[in-house]
Amino acid sequence: MQERQEIHNYLKSLAKYLSRLDQQEADEVLREIESHIYDVIDMQEEKGQLVNVAEILRGFGPPRQLAEHYVAHIVDGTPLPPGFSAMDIVKRGASKSLYWGSAILGYSVGVSLIFLAFAKLMVPNLVGIWSSANGNSLIVGMVEHPYQYGNELAGMWLVPAALVLGFLTLRLTYGVLHVLKNSMQRK
Amino acid sequence: MTEKQTLETKWDIQIRKGTLELVILAALNGRVLYGLELLNLLHQFETLKITEGTLYPLLDRLKRDGVVSAKWQQEGEARPRKYYKLTDAGHAKLTSVSQRWQQATADINHLLSHPGPDGIKK
Repeated sequence: MQERQEIHNYLKSLAKYLSRLDQQEADEVLREIESHIYDVIDMQEEKGQLVNVAEILRGFGPPRQLAEHYVAHIVDGTPLPPGFSAMDIVKRGASKSLYWGSAILGYSVGVSLIFLAFAKLMVPNLVGIWSSANGNSLIVGMVEHPYQYGNELAGMWLVPAALVLGFLTLRLTYGVLHVLKNSMQRK
Repeated sequence: MTEKQTLETKWDIQIRKGTLELVILAALNGRVLYGLELLNLLHQFETLKITEGTLYPLLDRLKRDGVVSAKWQQEGEARPRKYYKLTDAGHAKLTSVSQRWQQATADINHLLSHPGPDGIKK
């Protein structure tokens, strides 16, 4: 009874991770694996051996890992048919543009924020956040004549805020570029 | 595990990675087998003891590639099983890949039987 429950739990978990396949394909995979498991159990019982369901399931590996092998062709995509190489070149070009665009944007924003923090320390009166045009616009940065914009909103809190945001932006940019790079290398 | 056993295991894994598809095609040559039958056949060979988690997804891929075909069959009171066999494309692939395998094996054996320091003239 417990063996059946173990097998049922394993197949239920596997079914969840096979959701990328269409229902018929997923059902066929599950049916084949279930058939194998019970065939092995029958074989062990015929030989008078102790049935070890955990050992049988270990041969398949964790459900998630097993399912990854079945859905890899969907996740990675099948290669383009011959004659479509131009599309592949355009795709690669677009990926490279996205990579470098993200790098330039992300790193420049991050560095600018950190620079803002240090600038606030050096020239606190000229750097800050101001509200202008009756609250319809916000000015963030270094200005020549701050007095025309009224009171500065952030004060010295701008220093830690800009530093933290700057480093978070740099970290996020690094993470995004890492994912983009892996995606480009897999293709 | 001794160091020698560890080295042999690592090398077996490397060999299998490069040859598994050929192994499956060769095992199915002239045979119609279901998964467990195929697994038990391979397990008779020291270097071909693959796991179920390797075999079944590979069979699925070979089916999608069109080199094997699969069909559910039930014999008498037995549980239905999915039987695999080579397609024409599978036979063609087996022929060409096994020729390359024979050539690679001959090349490696030649190198092994002609150690240095002298050069090799083939």
